[in-house]
Amino acid sequence: MALFSNTATLLGKELRTEFRSRELLTTTSVFILIVLVLFSFATNPGTEEARQFAPGLLWLAILFASSLMFQSCFLREQVNDTLSSLRLAVSDPFAIFLAKLVANTLFLLLTEALMLPFFAIFYNISLWAQLPALSLVLFLGSVGIAIAGTAISAISAQARMRELLLPLLLLPLLTPVLVVSATVTGSLLDRDPVVQWKGIAFLGVFDLVFLTALWIFGQYFLEE
Amino acid sequence: MTKRILLGVAATALVIVAAYADFYVAPTERTMGLIQRIFYFHAATAWAGEMVFFVCFVANLMYVWKREQKYDWLGVTCAEVGVACITIVLITGPIWAKPVWGIYWTWDARLTSTFVLWLLYISYLLLRTLIEEPSRRALLSALFGIFAFLDVPLVFFSIRWWRTQHPAPVIMGGQGSGLDPTMKKVFYFNVLAMHIFCAFLIVERYILEKLRHDVDLLQREAEVQ
Amino acid sequence: MKNLDSVFAAYIVGWAVFFGFFLSIVRRTSALAAEVDRLKNSIRPKG
Repeated sequence: MALFSNTATLLGKELRTEFRSRELLTTTSVFILIVLVLFSFATNPGTEEARQFAPGLLWLAILFASSLMFQSCFLREQVNDTLSSLRLAVSDPFAIFLAKLVANTLFLLLTEALMLPFFAIFYNISLWAQLPALSLVLFLGSVGIAIAGTAISAISAQARMRELLLPLLLLPLLTPVLVVSATVTGSLLDRDPVVQWKGIAFLGVFDLVFLTALWIFGQYFLEE
Repeated sequence: MTKRILLGVAATALVIVAAYADFYVAPTERTMGLIQRIFYFHAATAWAGEMVFFVCFVANLMYVWKREQKYDWLGVTCAEVGVACITIVLITGPIWAKPVWGIYWTWDARLTSTFVLWLLYISYLLLRTLIEEPSRRALLSALFGIFAFLDVPLVFFSIRWWRTQHPAPVIMGGQGSGLDPTMKKVFYFNVLAMHIFCAFLIVERYILEKLRHDVDLLQREAEVQ
Repeated sequence: MKNLDSVFAAYIVGWAVFFGFFLSIVRRTSALAAEVDRLKNSIRPKG
């Protein structure tokens, strides 16, 4: 199908661009690390209370990092007006979004993977036992963040004060993801771990709702 | 013009009568006493605000579909009136809560989603100030408005199912939970009055938006000459 | 009566917000209406 082949081509472009310089990945990973360290200074990581806050802080760090990471998403297309070329190259504008969305999810997951060992060490939490379920929550949460982030970055790229505007628009939209992901992660990392399937399903629903909205309205974000 | 004045007078009269009913017609609530009377104003404004945001959502959809300016004007109008309503809800709520429960705020589903709703539409209004070109501004804010409105039920249920602690102070008091018939009538009258009053505000604000457009047109015409 | 001041505070704040909002609309509307008249007059003699 034209949509998937277009998306695959564009995805290849996104990945090649990023892996050539790796600047987005490195800066975002270091940023998350700094945020985690700051959280340790603000709280007291060794204690039992800190263990309870740890999942929330993990997801906060991911949210903050994503609001920086998605800045460049559509901004880089404005530099040489590559967006016009992209629009001409594809039959369905949604392919542009889909490609960026998959790329953003990938980048986000990569930075999370890099950050998780530090998180486990700082907060003295063992992640191995629940790794499959944890990966699922991280995946679904990151997809949700990436969908909203890609859409909002398309909006903020066309406005002034975009560096502040993007988090301003994005973070309130992502409150459901934060609440549910943090809670489900918390119950996974508890003394008696429980997998909250209802929460995982909710994250799936969130992802589906926003993906559908992006599919229906995506073409309008990129209009001339 | 006469219709506008008529609407304004009717709206004002209705809210004055509603306020009178809140204090003199509605019976005093057994447990909370006098403070409970805030409920009529507070909850009616909340309902009206939510209805106004729904109209905003429809206007946003219509703009994306039809691209007619009037839908953009209606969208920003409803967003502003809605924000005014929810601001009042967020202020009167804690005023009510403090004497009754001893706390100004709690993170239950209704309060939290109301606050996020307020934040989202404040962001909508801020976004509009940051885009100069009118048709681009209209389109992008309509798109954000659509996403924002879709988000609100998700926010509500995420808090309801994963954050609301039991037992939690039900700040707004279950309005469906066995409300006295007179109280019900007073409440629904308040709801009607607030809806009419919001309709009046929407009309006036919409006319302002249309005037802005007329000024822009005339300015361009004047420049040409 | 207990809490009467809270009830009054709520109503006063509420209506202050609505009134302030309405006032800002009226102010901006009359300013713009004046602007419309001014522009129309500046165009008409030349037109």
